[in-house]
Amino acid sequence: MELLPQALIDGLLIGGIYITIAIGFSLAYGVMHIIDFAVGEWIMLGAFLGYYLNLWSALDPFILLPAVFLAFFLIGYLIQPLVYRVISGKKGNPVLMGLVFTFGLGLMFRGSALTGFGFYSHSIPSAISQNSFFLEMGGMFITIPYVRLAGLLYALAVTMVLHFVLKKTNFGRAVRALSQHREASGLMGINAKRISSYVYGIYVGISAMTGVIIGSIFTINAQMGGEYSILAFFIVVLAGMGYLPGVPWASFLLGLVQSFFLIYLNPSYTLMAVFGILFTILLISPKGLFGRGV
Amino acid sequence: MSRKYLLLILFCGILLAVPSIVRDTFYLRIVTEAFMWIGLAISWDVLAGYTGYLNFGHGIFFGVGAYTTSILMNLCGWSFFMTLPVSALVAAVVAVIAGIPTLRLKGAYFAIATWALARAIQQMVLVASFTGGPDGMRLPPFLHPGFFYYTMLIVVGGVFALNWFLLEKAPFGLKVKAIREDDQSAMSLGLNPTKIKLQAFLLSAVPAGILGAIYAYWITYIDPASVLGDMVTDQAVVMAVFGGLGTLIGPAIGAVIIFLFKTYFWAYLSDYQVLYLIILGGVIAASVVFLPNGLWGTITSYRQSDKALKHEPVSSRSDDKGDPHV
Repeated sequence: MELLPQALIDGLLIGGIYITIAIGFSLAYGVMHIIDFAVGEWIMLGAFLGYYLNLWSALDPFILLPAVFLAFFLIGYLIQPLVYRVISGKKGNPVLMGLVFTFGLGLMFRGSALTGFGFYSHSIPSAISQNSFFLEMGGMFITIPYVRLAGLLYALAVTMVLHFVLKKTNFGRAVRALSQHREASGLMGINAKRISSYVYGIYVGISAMTGVIIGSIFTINAQMGGEYSILAFFIVVLAGMGYLPGVPWASFLLGLVQSFFLIYLNPSYTLMAVFGILFTILLISPKGLFGRGV
Repeated sequence: MSRKYLLLILFCGILLAVPSIVRDTFYLRIVTEAFMWIGLAISWDVLAGYTGYLNFGHGIFFGVGAYTTSILMNLCGWSFFMTLPVSALVAAVVAVIAGIPTLRLKGAYFAIATWALARAIQQMVLVASFTGGPDGMRLPPFLHPGFFYYTMLIVVGGVFALNWFLLEKAPFGLKVKAIREDDQSAMSLGLNPTKIKLQAFLLSAVPAGILGAIYAYWITYIDPASVLGDMVTDQAVVMAVFGGLGTLIGPAIGAVIIFLFKTYFWAYLSDYQVLYLIILGGVIAASVVFLPNGLWGTITSYRQSDKALKHEPVSSRSDDKGDPHV
């Protein structure tokens, strides 16, 4: 029983990071209707960029976040026309081809990372990695590592900024219009190609930044992509595909499931529990917990 | 027509005679494994090419079949041929369980769910005790290359013939294609899309389970990484997409090309094994961009347009690519 508050706090702290794993992915799905099978690989590549920048410049990973975001925003922006060409092709089944294409990209990224970065695990040391925050309440101890708290704050900040951009700016209005109705928004003068490129860039950038955060909390290696792809898929299906307001709740739920399995049961069974929940959701309410998915 | 059958009989004769021509076990082994990959690629394509549902966990069925046979032979002492129907049955059960909730939905959900299921099952096999966990399982060795060659040939040939009959000759193929093109209109014609998709999924999963069973007995050692890892699915996907989705011969050609390349690559450049992943990814991404119909689809569409220009008036030329190629 004395572990319950710790399990809850851990779940919320981890769940926060999961928001940023899935929110860009869900946004990209809403706008482009593409499932990016390379989502975990973008996280992995971002993490390694953070790792090498940190080695080279000795700056704190949290300070490096904007640089990583910019670099990957640019990569995403430049790669998107190719993705767009695949998913809007006339031949074959474009949605299917989009899936296959990103699957291939993911394989390529994983292979390149294994070649370039090797099989070893690394971590990105942050100045706040060593310290934790202790709470004592009625004989129960709670440990909150600073770095995890910073991760949660980062995730909340990203979510807030994204919310502001989507709700208050013209760009956000265009993005929302595009995800509602592609043709009609085109008639209103929205350039679908350009907006999609920006959205893809934002998605790739957020995923890459999250990789750096993951690197400063856990460890990173070239094979980590699949694990995070599965978490992103889980959250997005639970929240309803393309339904952004559901993402934080689904992420916190995943965080709690994971921390409870870690503390009370065997962590080896986490993946099966995650799949069990995913399966049940697909069986009962395929549009997500809120029934609002696309 | 009769020339076509003659060629077919000749081809079958050559295939049957291979073990007496190829004396070297090494090469016989390569041919046998090539058959296995043909089987995996065409069985993947049944679902992906004909119904438009991408199964990113095809390795599940292969692995489940391999593990069923190993467990039955090791722990229950069954003979190999008795385990084959059980492996097929277990693969079918897994397919039904995974298919019922997801095949009702759009393809993206199915792709995600099968991908997640593959990892969940791998995890399950790693932690379970009766599967040997990460150490894998050993099977009683049976060193008879010819036996495995013929078993693989019969199974893959049977699967090919069955798919050819069901998808290109029987009404089932038309139903499946109707659902791929537009499941709303197919429904209005009285078809039950979920049921037909589930049947196609079974047609795709069961052969993979049987191939897995044969592989386990042939290689005599299996572990989660070799039979349930991503590599089985990844290669089957690349072979089918590169060869041409929605045809029978395309994935088979893709399988032979990719498999021979892989064998050559691993034999001569074994220091650069991870490069193979990059090449697989590159081949798949490039064939999506440049050869959306795959190698075979591109060849036949050239041939067709050539023929059409020569023999038919342009007005009656149809643009569809749905002509059955065997």
